[in-house]
Amino acid sequence: MSADDPLVRVEDLRKYFWENDSLLDRLLGGEPVPVRAVDGVSFDIDPGETLGLVGESGCGKSTTGETLLRLQEPTDGDVVFDGESVYDLEGDALTDFRRGAQVVFQDPFSSLDPRMTIGGIVTQPLEIHDWPWTDPGVESRAELRTDGISADIVSVTVADDVDKLVAPVDGVATVHVTVRSSDVAGDVDPDERGVDEADGVVAEVAEDLSVDVERGDGIDVRVSVDRSTKRLRLDRARSLLERVGLSIDQLDRYPHEFSGGQRQRIGIARALALEPEFVVLDEPTSALDVSVQAQVLNLLADLQAEFDLTYLLISHDLSVIRHVCDRVAVMYLGEIVEIGPVDELFADPKHPYTQALLDSVPRASTDERERERETLSGDVPSPRDPPSGCRFRTRCPKVIPPADLEIDQETYRELMTLRERVESRDVSLETVGDDGRFALENGTVSEADVDAFVAALKDRLLGTELPARHDAVVTEALASVAVGDWEAAADRLREEYESVCERRNPALDADEHPVACHLYDAAERRDAPAPEH
Amino acid sequence: MISDRVASNLKAEFRRNLLPKIGLVVLTAILLMALFAPVLATHNPNTTGYFDDGTSYPPMGTTAESYEVVDGERQSIEVEPSSEHLLGTNNVGQDVFSRLLYGARTSLLVGTLGTGIAVIMGVPFGLISGYFGGRIDDAMMRVADVMLAFPSLVLALALVGVFGSMTVSIPDPFVAAGLAEGMPSSTPLPGTVTLVVGLVTWVWFARVARGEAMAIRNEEYVTAARSLGASDATILFKHVLPNSLTPVIVLATIQVASVILLESSLSFLGFSGTTLSWGYEIQQGQEYLRQNWWISTIPGVGIVLAVISINLLGDWLRDSLDPNIEGEGGGAA
Amino acid sequence: MTTDILRVDGLSTRFFTEQGQVNAVSDLDLRIERGEVFGIVGESGSGKSVTARSVIDLIESPGRITDGEIWFNDDGLAEAVADDHPEAVDGSFVNLLEVPERVRRSLRGTSFSMIFQDPESSFNPSLTVGEQIAEAVEVQRRASANPRSTRAKTREYSLGSLVLSTVLPSRKYVSEASRERAIELLELVGIPDPVERADEYPHEYSGGMLQRAMIAQALAGEPDVLVADEPTTALDVTIQAQVLDLLDDLQEETGMTILLITHNLGVVARMCDRVGVMYAGEIVERGTLEDVFDDHVHPYTEGLLGSIPDLEGPTARRAADDRAEKPRGGGRLEPIPGNVPSLLDREMGDRCYFADRCPKAMEDCLSHPPEYDGAGSEEHEVRCVLATREYTEARALPTDYFGKADRAAADKHADPDGTETDVQPERAESTVEGTGGERR
Repeated sequence: MSADDPLVRVEDLRKYFWENDSLLDRLLGGEPVPVRAVDGVSFDIDPGETLGLVGESGCGKSTTGETLLRLQEPTDGDVVFDGESVYDLEGDALTDFRRGAQVVFQDPFSSLDPRMTIGGIVTQPLEIHDWPWTDPGVESRAELRTDGISADIVSVTVADDVDKLVAPVDGVATVHVTVRSSDVAGDVDPDERGVDEADGVVAEVAEDLSVDVERGDGIDVRVSVDRSTKRLRLDRARSLLERVGLSIDQLDRYPHEFSGGQRQRIGIARALALEPEFVVLDEPTSALDVSVQAQVLNLLADLQAEFDLTYLLISHDLSVIRHVCDRVAVMYLGEIVEIGPVDELFADPKHPYTQALLDSVPRASTDERERERETLSGDVPSPRDPPSGCRFRTRCPKVIPPADLEIDQETYRELMTLRERVESRDVSLETVGDDGRFALENGTVSEADVDAFVAALKDRLLGTELPARHDAVVTEALASVAVGDWEAAADRLREEYESVCERRNPALDADEHPVACHLYDAAERRDAPAPEH
Repeated sequence: MISDRVASNLKAEFRRNLLPKIGLVVLTAILLMALFAPVLATHNPNTTGYFDDGTSYPPMGTTAESYEVVDGERQSIEVEPSSEHLLGTNNVGQDVFSRLLYGARTSLLVGTLGTGIAVIMGVPFGLISGYFGGRIDDAMMRVADVMLAFPSLVLALALVGVFGSMTVSIPDPFVAAGLAEGMPSSTPLPGTVTLVVGLVTWVWFARVARGEAMAIRNEEYVTAARSLGASDATILFKHVLPNSLTPVIVLATIQVASVILLESSLSFLGFSGTTLSWGYEIQQGQEYLRQNWWISTIPGVGIVLAVISINLLGDWLRDSLDPNIEGEGGGAA
Repeated sequence: MTTDILRVDGLSTRFFTEQGQVNAVSDLDLRIERGEVFGIVGESGSGKSVTARSVIDLIESPGRITDGEIWFNDDGLAEAVADDHPEAVDGSFVNLLEVPERVRRSLRGTSFSMIFQDPESSFNPSLTVGEQIAEAVEVQRRASANPRSTRAKTREYSLGSLVLSTVLPSRKYVSEASRERAIELLELVGIPDPVERADEYPHEYSGGMLQRAMIAQALAGEPDVLVADEPTTALDVTIQAQVLDLLDDLQEETGMTILLITHNLGVVARMCDRVGVMYAGEIVERGTLEDVFDDHVHPYTEGLLGSIPDLEGPTARRAADDRAEKPRGGGRLEPIPGNVPSLLDREMGDRCYFADRCPKAMEDCLSHPPEYDGAGSEEHEVRCVLATREYTEARALPTDYFGKADRAAADKHADPDGTETDVQPERAESTVEGTGGERR
């Protein structure tokens, strides 16, 4: 792996959940329905960067996070971590992956086992991975410094297993020992682990190890770990908790005794216990109050700098994303619609969804009331049955009409909604007109009433007056509806109004700042409305 | 395993409520009676015919009607209680009080051992089924459903029929130590019945454990453990089992009571293999219910008291272990 | 010249829990003008929801309003109760806490209405949305047919009437007129195809639509004051924008007064005319939007605003990029240290409740500060000594004055950071703010 390779490469990742897939359903012959939580997502994460994954609830961002950590089996696609496919890992390689990639969860209440103590929770990863590790191939060496004593009479023995605590460099674990005469040294605390005194000689080890000094013919200094594995783990847990800002006397307390922010810190300590390279932060602050959120965000930033971490930050909160991330990917209904450097994406959002998302966030400033904003209408469609073509087209304020239509966006949007309802037969004919005005037989209106019925239906379905050309088309289609021929109506409308956005799903272009929207490929080929902001 | 919060909850609930206190007192009394039966008993419970006239003596403080044949005619007479027999004697002249004490042994032993067997069978079954889900769950739960489809008494009868009535004799330490002379040297435990009540009731534990496991496997701390690389066995032992124990404990207390009832029913029907049982005693006395009411009624009261007191304790456990109810010093959940 | 519609004087609401007395709201004054949008902003455990619920008398045991007056401005009501309760009337104002409960109850829906954070649990899943809104309309109709009678309102939708309405169509609980009004209301709140939608069940609605339906239900009685308790917290940001737009339009159209409770300063900025910032059961700073956002004095307000990552303009991170070659961790937010305080009576000393987290705590802060006039508009008031004197190092409290910053003992009783009341709907329903985990 060269320095330029990404740490994580996600390639066309898909994760479908299946509904109606139980034994009984299959016996009854039901077809399983796929819920396309993640539907073909690709992105890279470079070492040391923070990639943000932003989107509304149900867009598949959390599932993406879990699937790329192999907490869910993917339906299709691949994730390459550190040059190896995550889904092909087995045995030791999988264990290494579990050590190198960690996750911090959203809910500080459910992410900690209520029946485990804090010490138990933070030492759990150490137990699972059998920390501390020692490698018999690693050589132990001491670097001796003396003060007031000749170095020639000092012999230092270093235990083989000090690499449990001292990270080896090039196969050698080096400990730093200072030996001096008591006159030079100050008072020695006999309880302190790294210092020992014997007959006027004080030996000190810089690392977190035990030292033992004896004065015979010469001076014998022995450096060892000298603690049980359990002790070592608890000590490590203590220092981790201290690092994330919790006082160290809390190891035997239970999660319910802590506030949400503190629990989130415990979750972070657990994730860091194995010194991972990569951490998925799944909405780490969305359950916290704003002042506590700020504390946790600052902590995460400090830890990233200190431990060279790579983050994938999953969040629905755009301001958090902007504050923390280097690059951002915007997700909508299981797909990435835009991805780019954070400043560029926030200053110059290209995809209409990104634009709308940014517009929707209320700013905490007094200018907020005067701010121009364009909000989206409607709800996110169901991932069971996503719209054809571009998934955002059902809400997009910039959906592209056929080239020769000469229609404004608002009218076009209304016609699209009408089409959708005709296609899904989601129009109740019974309630058209005043009470019992039109008698329906088998869902059709009698010949004579058709015109009046169409007028009444049009009135109800459309809020505005249509230009003559479109009025004619709609009238024709609704007349088909009136006689029960829904299909003809749908065909007529599709023929006239089908947009490029529903025919083809736009792909992310290969740009510095890729965006999946027809506005950008269409702009070159056709005379579609130019992208604006 | 039981945290401070739970402990303080238990205490708070206990202080607040009178009922669990009553339950605890009664159950303790029954336990002590059962434990010290050889010492407390006034007679050997198996010795028959203290009186050769066939009279059943009534409990102290009451009298009973009987007949005496005088000159070929039946005359109604009044039977005075005998000071020898606190609670009277049964139809074959055995001491009711002593039999009550020994019967408590059988009931409590069968109740706890039978429930223990059910827990040991049902909980792992349910946890595995619920934790792994999918096909495994489908298959395992069908097995459980089949078990549930049979009425437990019918199933128990069928099983007793298959295995036969086997009893295990447990030597009595009091008699061995010479503290209780004249008492039976061993207590018979109806082994088949114990096994059978376990086999009949384990499904309830399986269902409860499965439900818990299904909920717990979706908790984020389980996902967290998986992301750390914990094996399924570790997760089952460290997370799923401890967090699913609360409802299991509650169910177990309630099951002990229903197992006691089931054992009584089996004894009543004559399948227990021991005569020292409350259920058997009720069955023996039912013929004489009209004149000698105490023979059936006194062991019946024993069953009712034991079952109610255990249920009271079970309710108390359920309320205190419920994480939604906070006790004193519990703090914010 | 605007008139006040609601005046709250010295309101105290306490919860009597097993842990002790929790002072959720202490000696709170509030003045809301007719037709304005007043925002109360604060973190979880600040007492903002309890304040709102106190105003419309929805405090449940173990909570109780222990002190204070709530004056509601309504000529009709003043006239109606003047005879029976002269002491509760002052001009056109009526002290709601001194009139009998049935009068207060009769005001719900017609004078006050409330919308909640979690629409899903506010609707009965087994009745259609239209039916439930029509039911609210019906109740208001009966109430207004007989204005101050309270009996009309007590006829609830009982099991008996449910059975009757199934058997006898003529005994339908909701009349045709109510149904039509319900459909109108659904249309008013922007639900497409209200006629069809009225016959659907709550589970067929999306979260945003249910929130709209709940607003429709709240509007059934044409209330004078709408209390909106975190109305958009459970919603996605694009849906939140829709709902805020809707509330804005409705307010403009009907001229109703809105009391908006939220933890989101952006929502406040978007919606409110005047704001009160709550902390530990008190309003610590209040004033116009400009007073609080631009001219704030209280360090808590400062901290709250400093905690929000900025969405626009160069962020601190980017600023750091310019300075250093390889910036790491980016810019820093300026959070408030420590955690939300305990509101247990025995743990609240006679001092400024924020002093233990305050970066500018001085000796003066050891006695409880009154409300001072702030630097901004006439409305601007601050409960902080910094309004009267500058912060000086000389008078500063030593940093360890209140013990370690991370005071676990206090957290134990405080509502853990808010998650419950602010973000997670299913938890929020069952928790009363600041009561130390006491559940309903």
